[in-house]
Amino acid sequence: MAEVKTYRLILALIFIGLAGCVEPIEFDVPEPLEQVIIQGFITNDPGPYTVIIARGLAVRPDTVANRPIQGAQVRLYDNHGNIEDFQEVSPGTYSTGGAMQGEIGNSYHIKVRLSDGSEFESTPDLMTSGGEIKSLSWEYEEGNPDEEFTETRDDVFGIYIDSEGGSESENYIRWRMTGTFRIETRPELYEVVRPYWDIPLKRPWPCSGFRTATHPSGSGTIVVQFEPCVCCQCWVNNFEKFPQVSDDRLVSGGEFSDIRIGEVPINNVNFYDKYMVKVEQMSLSRVAFDFFRLMKVQRESASSIFQPPSAELVGNVIPNDPEDRVIGLFWASAIDTEVKFIERSDIPYLLTPTIQVPQPCNTFYPYSTTEKPAEWN
Amino acid sequence: MRRILFICLIVSPVLLKGQSVLDSQLNGSEKSQQLVSVLDSIQSNGSFQIFFLQEWLNDITVEQSYAGQSLKVLIDDLFQGTELRYVLMYPEVLVIVRDPSYAKKKEAEIQIARSSGIKIDQIILGSPSVQQANSGNVTITGTVMDWVSGDNLPFTSIQVNDSLRVVSSDSNGKFQFSVPKGNYLIKAKFVDYEDKLIDLLAFDNGDILVELEKEAKQLDEVVVEADREEELSRAKIGKTVLTVKEMKYTPSFLGEVDLVRQVQNLPGVTTVGEAATGFNVRGGGVDQNLILYDGLPVFNSSHVFGFLTSFNPDAVENVTFYKGGVPAQFGGRVSSVLDIEAKEGDYEEWSGKAGIGMITSNVSVSGPIKEGETSIAASLRSTYSNWLARSVRTDYADLRESNVFFYDGTVKVTHKFNEDNKLSFTGYSSHDAFKLVGDTTYRWNTNLASVNYDKQFSPDLGAKFTAGISNYDYNVEDENFRTASRLRYRLTAATTSAKFFKEKEGHKIDFGAHLNYYNFQPGELSPTSDASNAANFSLDKQNSIELAAFIDDSWEVNDRLTLNAGLRIPFFMSLGAADIYEYDNDDFKQVTGITDTLQFGSFEPIKSYVGLEPRFSMNYKLSETTAFKIGYNRIFQYLHLVTNTTAVTPIDIWQPSGYYFEPQRADQVSAGLFRNSLDNKFGVSVEGFYKHINNLVDFKDGAELTLNDHIETELLQGTGRAYGAELALMKNSGKLTGTLNYTYSRSFRTIGIVGDRNASINNGLEYPSNFDQPHVINFNWKLEVTKRHFLTGSFTYQSGRPVTIPLSLFNIDNNFVAFFSERNQFRIPDYHRLDLGLVIEGSHNKRRWAKGTWIISIYNAYSRQNPYTVFFGTSDLGIPEPFQLSIIGTILPSISYNLNF
Repeated sequence: MAEVKTYRLILALIFIGLAGCVEPIEFDVPEPLEQVIIQGFITNDPGPYTVIIARGLAVRPDTVANRPIQGAQVRLYDNHGNIEDFQEVSPGTYSTGGAMQGEIGNSYHIKVRLSDGSEFESTPDLMTSGGEIKSLSWEYEEGNPDEEFTETRDDVFGIYIDSEGGSESENYIRWRMTGTFRIETRPELYEVVRPYWDIPLKRPWPCSGFRTATHPSGSGTIVVQFEPCVCCQCWVNNFEKFPQVSDDRLVSGGEFSDIRIGEVPINNVNFYDKYMVKVEQMSLSRVAFDFFRLMKVQRESASSIFQPPSAELVGNVIPNDPEDRVIGLFWASAIDTEVKFIERSDIPYLLTPTIQVPQPCNTFYPYSTTEKPAEWN
Repeated sequence: MRRILFICLIVSPVLLKGQSVLDSQLNGSEKSQQLVSVLDSIQSNGSFQIFFLQEWLNDITVEQSYAGQSLKVLIDDLFQGTELRYVLMYPEVLVIVRDPSYAKKKEAEIQIARSSGIKIDQIILGSPSVQQANSGNVTITGTVMDWVSGDNLPFTSIQVNDSLRVVSSDSNGKFQFSVPKGNYLIKAKFVDYEDKLIDLLAFDNGDILVELEKEAKQLDEVVVEADREEELSRAKIGKTVLTVKEMKYTPSFLGEVDLVRQVQNLPGVTTVGEAATGFNVRGGGVDQNLILYDGLPVFNSSHVFGFLTSFNPDAVENVTFYKGGVPAQFGGRVSSVLDIEAKEGDYEEWSGKAGIGMITSNVSVSGPIKEGETSIAASLRSTYSNWLARSVRTDYADLRESNVFFYDGTVKVTHKFNEDNKLSFTGYSSHDAFKLVGDTTYRWNTNLASVNYDKQFSPDLGAKFTAGISNYDYNVEDENFRTASRLRYRLTAATTSAKFFKEKEGHKIDFGAHLNYYNFQPGELSPTSDASNAANFSLDKQNSIELAAFIDDSWEVNDRLTLNAGLRIPFFMSLGAADIYEYDNDDFKQVTGITDTLQFGSFEPIKSYVGLEPRFSMNYKLSETTAFKIGYNRIFQYLHLVTNTTAVTPIDIWQPSGYYFEPQRADQVSAGLFRNSLDNKFGVSVEGFYKHINNLVDFKDGAELTLNDHIETELLQGTGRAYGAELALMKNSGKLTGTLNYTYSRSFRTIGIVGDRNASINNGLEYPSNFDQPHVINFNWKLEVTKRHFLTGSFTYQSGRPVTIPLSLFNIDNNFVAFFSERNQFRIPDYHRLDLGLVIEGSHNKRRWAKGTWIISIYNAYSRQNPYTVFFGTSDLGIPEPFQLSIIGTILPSISYNLNF
């Protein structure tokens, strides 16, 4: 019942005609602990599977978003004695080569050894049968003032699924929704304003393929394309705000119907042309389920003014040396994936044109890539 | 001085010593002699002369031996409070005079009283003819009662000749004092009543009746008069009587007088925030306060999530608050008792009151159904904040579709069969509905009905029988068509009790028994439309009974020492039907560890607990104005409010003790020194306490509490301790009155197994409770500028309360997740606030049919942005940033108008 808490705040504001106020506050917090964060999973889909290893971050607005741990040795085990090593494919990100594939009924775990010698091991996680998504649909929902009192909610498409749980008596399921949209930018239009000069200096980003050249008349600078642009078109991922997990108590039997698993805000960026919704239904063990449930609780209550103390995410990764601090989860999951596209024409009104940003798209938009996703068509 | 007699006698009881006649040493033979004879015998020794008028001294007898003491001591004693004075003209010549100024003063006082309409009764005890025969002192006993209702009035101040003697009536309205024979002016004062003067001619012992009449100002509100009416040195430790008094005198929040906010001003009482339900007493939880309304328990005492208390002050007669030394007749909550008595109607005439404030309006009436026998008092309070909410447009949200509504109403009908038998019925109802934009409506209700029968079997044996039902329920309605559902929760308590009061030879003995039956519907979810995907889901109903027998003896051992000892024996049993899960690990219960299910049939006993609760308190008077008090109590609590928020919300769950939850047990010791000035103008008190609580219930981090049929997996039990010292200063009369108190206290909890993070909170180590606020200062004052204008104010300071904050972050699946500190290891900034008020009363002329009062309040006068809580917003990168929320971050004036008719 997280909602009630935020409502109460707004109520306060009602009563006192907005006398309430919100201000940043500072705590004298010690430097972040040197926690090791390990996360990854294996599915019954073909690999490769990925493990990400990083360090904990300070709670500051200027925190670097990532502190990857490089040079670790990571090895995957199943309960039949099979082993496969992970290779570091980018800083802190380790992938299998595809030799092993997850199977329902098997248990999997990993061992991690960092370059400083500290070792970690996850407890074996059983891959349970997963069930399947029977339908994926969306519905236009007019914007409402949000529970989060600091902003007004956009109009959205609510994303709904019907699904079948697995054959297990208790269904521990996570639905992971990832949204992807295509966007174009104009990095060749970048300009630098100079002091005392009326005319800004044209500085096209190199990845745009454009270069500056003197105007044939000799009276100024023009930009000319010499190569194809490699940063003008991106696919941007929107991740869910918190994990969606099943709630056996509130929904009957193994059948989940009309479950709202997320939403897509309607705006001229998300709908530059169309929007891809990808939903993965993942079966979970109880340990993994609890991990994601607590994560959800924490994410939901993070902005609650009542701030119930949040749960410590325990996970299943254990350090060899009890002094080492680790938070980690390596889980096994049977997976069923559903992908659909919401067209711009599904929006019941016209959107304003998207602003042309004079920046490389992959640096301007977080979680973006210039690689076209396999599912995009 | 018409005549001065010079008498010489031969027998001398006096040993001659010293230079002055006043230094004459007495040898004890003066005992039982007439003063005249004693003086004569002193003179008879030759060297001294004493001049006096015999008729002045005729009725004065020396009652005790003054052996070894001087004449000065003797006559000082005997003349005290009389008009007699003496002048030592020469060391050997003493002149006894009558001070006419005192008589004039008395005459003037009577005149003033007459002219201002104060009633003066003349009472003559005995007759002048017996004066010669009797000894010099008379003992006056008396009873103070309400002239209209005939109820005895406890703790009334009785002044004899201004300040010669100040006594107060006891809890039954009885008083006693002893004075030399003579003419006295007795003044009786009781809050809300007109002062009463009695011109008493006392020639003999006697019993007088002091009848007080209610002030014409009707239906006034409650103001804390902590320990004031009952003199500090008399009151029981830990007890505060809140008397009904004019509300005008405290600046209020948006003009709404609030009973619980008044309680929060007492030392040792805190609150977690401005909009928080309830109050915390000496480091205890909100659920540890027993709130009784005409004898029935109240489970939620707030409107609008805690902005207001759900008791209309107009409907309250009086309130007694215990934070320590709780008498044996109360039990079931470990921290405090707030005993509220609903207002009784007037037996003689009708009166009413209507008020308009910024949030609520209220109307009350009181009057006789049958004159002198049956009365009714009714009041209703409701809000129009709905209008207010809808009229506000904010950047945050469009609130025009929001809905906030509440009301509360009380009716009390009382019938007096005769002086010894009184029957009353009380009905109380409180309702809240709350919907903000969106699809969810919260509603919660409290409904009470009780019957009280007061019977006096004989002058020293009385009884009170109570029966009633208290119901609390809430429902949360989701109107979204896909998830349309209703979540219901209900708690019903049926109460019967019999309490007897017996008085015998300095003992006041209370004894009786109490039976509560509780029925819980801990959660029921049902879909409310065909399209809804919500399931039908219902938790087992829970039944339990709580039975207690108690006896309590208050024994006035002598003038100085009062002892109070009591014992309460509670018995609690939880009953089926129920399915109870058993777990493989009792320390770390988890759903995956369920090994067995025990099934209990309907009303089959599941588990029972018997307790022994000794209660003790002592009041030892070190002097007339100073007392030392100690108190000890043990209390068991069988109902636990389960919440995972700092502030209580109306949709929290009351969980009874049973198979898994043992009853909480609190032991508290408190001791203090109390002193007031002779005229009770000033008071000061210092009190310390130590409290230990077993089997406190706290939730595990991230607990899911709603509709959880294995809630034992989410909760843990542990111990708590709290200690502190409370200092209070009071000025009770004069143009400027006020109280200042300071409390230093700490409150800690220890829950679970050390080192086992799954089965503990904070790794099993002690942590500060949510209510641990070491320093608290409260300062309240009222300045009478003119008879009709008052400047009032209050200042509050509290240490910031503990919070849990994230220490570091990590990124899981592209979401930032926080790693939190151990529980409550950081603090929000301190809280302080100044409120000011101006009260303008209407004309005091009683002949006007109605009287209005303006109250102008300024809340948070210097615009302090007190943090209510800390929460975490999210930066663009998704990194949580701490923010503080001030619920009231600015100066907040309000105005309200009250009309009495």
